[in-house]
Amino acid sequence: MSSNEELQETNTEARFEFKKEESSAFKSEKGLDEETIRVISEDKDEPDWMLQRRLRALKQFQEMPMPTDWPEAPDLSEIDIDEIVPYIRPDIDVRGGVDDWTDLPDDIKDTFDKLGIPEAEKNALSGVGAQYESEIVYQNMQEQWEEKGVIFCDMDKAVQEHEDLVKEYFMTKAVPPSDNKFAALHGAIWSGGSFVYVPEDTTVEMPIQAYFRMNSEGMGQFEHTLIIAEENSEVHYIEGCSAPKYSAFNLHSGGVEVFVKEDAHVQYSTVQNWSKSTYNLNTKRAIAEKGGRMEWISGSMGSKATMLYPSTILKGRGASDNHITIAFAGEGQDIDTGAKVYHNAPETKSTIESKSISKDGGRTNYRGLVHIADGAENSSTAVECDALMFDNESTSDTMPYMEINESKVDVAHEATVGKIGDEDIFYLQSRGLDDDDAKQMIVSGFIEPITEELPIEYAVELNRLVELEMEGSLG
Amino acid sequence: MSVQVPASISAETVEEISAARDEPDWLLERRLDALDSLDSLDLPDVIQTPGRRWTDLESLDFESLVDPRDQSDETVRESVEGATVLSFEEALADHEDLIKEHFGSVVDPERNYLTALSTALFTTGTVIYVPEGVDVEDITIRAEMNSRSLFSHTLVVTEQSSSATILESIESGDDVDGDRFFSNIVEVSAGENSYVQFGSLQNLDEDTYHITLKRGTTDTYSTINWIEGNIGSRLTRSDVETSLDGEGSETKVVGAFFGHEDQHLDINARVWHNAESTTADLVTRGVLDDVARSVYEGVQDVGQDAWNTSSYQRENTLMLSDDSEADASPKLIIKNHDTEASHSATVGQVDQEDLLYMTSRSIDPNTARNMLVEGFFVPVLEEIDVEEFREDLSELIIARLD
Repeated sequence: MSSNEELQETNTEARFEFKKEESSAFKSEKGLDEETIRVISEDKDEPDWMLQRRLRALKQFQEMPMPTDWPEAPDLSEIDIDEIVPYIRPDIDVRGGVDDWTDLPDDIKDTFDKLGIPEAEKNALSGVGAQYESEIVYQNMQEQWEEKGVIFCDMDKAVQEHEDLVKEYFMTKAVPPSDNKFAALHGAIWSGGSFVYVPEDTTVEMPIQAYFRMNSEGMGQFEHTLIIAEENSEVHYIEGCSAPKYSAFNLHSGGVEVFVKEDAHVQYSTVQNWSKSTYNLNTKRAIAEKGGRMEWISGSMGSKATMLYPSTILKGRGASDNHITIAFAGEGQDIDTGAKVYHNAPETKSTIESKSISKDGGRTNYRGLVHIADGAENSSTAVECDALMFDNESTSDTMPYMEINESKVDVAHEATVGKIGDEDIFYLQSRGLDDDDAKQMIVSGFIEPITEELPIEYAVELNRLVELEMEGSLG
Repeated sequence: MSVQVPASISAETVEEISAARDEPDWLLERRLDALDSLDSLDLPDVIQTPGRRWTDLESLDFESLVDPRDQSDETVRESVEGATVLSFEEALADHEDLIKEHFGSVVDPERNYLTALSTALFTTGTVIYVPEGVDVEDITIRAEMNSRSLFSHTLVVTEQSSSATILESIESGDDVDGDRFFSNIVEVSAGENSYVQFGSLQNLDEDTYHITLKRGTTDTYSTINWIEGNIGSRLTRSDVETSLDGEGSETKVVGAFFGHEDQHLDINARVWHNAESTTADLVTRGVLDDVARSVYEGVQDVGQDAWNTSSYQRENTLMLSDDSEADASPKLIIKNHDTEASHSATVGQVDQEDLLYMTSRSIDPNTARNMLVEGFFVPVLEEIDVEEFREDLSELIIARLD
């Protein structure tokens, strides 16, 4: 049986919604103070400079206000940092992750089996990292890439083994903790995540993937991903996320930094299916040098509230960016997502394509910023936002911002909002589909520009998730 | 964070303004209420992005800009048979009930600091009343501002199945040393199945800070079309809004601006769809030269009850200079799925191919560019009902190009 068929036949809902008993080797106290941070840093045996960066970030976190002055911002009032368990080290023997699934404790192995990760690794990936709670528990990379000098490891391990690179790039250039309150929080209590280094002239042909799983109620996950793609290299990184639903809220506040060197190409794909009790507040940013190309592909299906605006700074001449984002908000969900692009050099190019679907009282918002600096001549940007709405309980907002400081540019923004066309449904019904199937097919077609960018396994997964969201809710 | 109220403004000032115009008590009360509310009100919202604030209203120094006791204007009102077109002061004598009913019903005086300030201090303005079934065209109001500061309040009421096309223009008259301030509130209440086009042409001198809020509400099947032309002023903050409250009602918000030198133009067009089968079309075209900066916000808000809605928005900015800046934020807020909504925005320079075509036809490059800029405004000019207005705007655009 192909992995495709297997994914289609397994019960996607069961695969994401299950819970495991909590079992951990180390669990920090709830809440956040200097002491918590010292304890986490000590448990990780970190160098002093990292502890100092954490403490500085904590201070910035405490001084910064919540982002409440944004127009129509999602309600974050429920988030009480003192109620969050910031750090849980799962009960595993090997820090930095084992490289064989069978070496994992059964409950953790079972989790990832259910999520289909080992299966996907065999078929379609160059490497896999899997994070359970706050730590990477599995990390493996095909030998052929390791031989070429490609590094893919746990971020904590990178602090120890690739200290110079981490020290230079970690929250210094792309996402400083001062960027926003949750970036500061992240800087203080980050744990786990991936470190990816691709040497010059190296193309990693199959994607590498990290999967992040929160299992415990009330925990916060703060993984940090740092990708450095040297000149003329190419890599595709995929991130998957999920958590079972609890009554208490969970907080995910990841940090992603991507460095796209001259003529390098990085694709960063995320399919996020956090539980509907998770607040998903991330800061993701890429810096693209001359001729570099950055692609962000994001599918936001889960979470109670998401605030996510992957950004690219086009720093070198001829650098380009491509954003593809899809948001699906059902009952009780507020998916506020978009893109930010800074054109800081001539001949830079960006395209942003956003698709959103809202139903059963959910809200989607495209919030985006395109800034073209003075001197970035012959640059162009095209933004296209399309939204589908299912009912008049739901909300679909579009809030783009454009700041154009250069006249020799081509700037276009377009957005549409509408319902599923009755004629389209009628047509499909006349071809023998029932109403539900017709609507599902229209939605699948609506998001196709995004699914076709993903490896087939993920495209299938995304489609399954969409079907799941649609099931039983269509009149 | 409220704004300091200038020392020159007190209850006494307001009473003096009201008494000089022999106003009824209720109007004085409303002025005083607005004055009282100043302490608790903020300036209008301006767009902020990380590290940037698109318009700086905070540094407006009302202390030096506003001299409430010395307001003067010369306004010529071209009345038309069948409709009432009077200065606000004169209208109070004849149509007090009408004014009492509608004044402050469309623009909440306490919406922000600037509306409250304007309500407390206005000394000029016009009342236009069109009775049931009456059609009037080409009502023109031409105002000249002669003092350091001037506050104006205009009220338009159209009864059932009437129609009116209106032009209101403002320019600077007597010279005054230093900075000046002009505030203009316009309220339009469109009765059932009536039609109003309210055109506004602002060409103030470039020492003047210009703040305007124009807002209309529609009854069933009525239409309010706005034409907002901004050529002059040092800084303009213009908000033009329609609340589509009546079933089947429509609005167009058409804007044209041409900024040069260091002008700052903050242009806002907003529409709320609050009823079924409503239609809105927002069209703004602007040109920027030198170091001028434009800021545009367009909002299409479709409420939960607004079934069968159509809502469109287009904004196009042409940059003639590399040192100018164009910021834009066209927003959609959609709460009903039975909607066809779209917006688009573009920013760029004069089309190089068009230019090449014209120069290859032996038109010199400067003339060619000017022709293309004139052509760029045509879709806006075509919307204007009042011929005089179309000619004036067109002339001002040509004058700026030379």
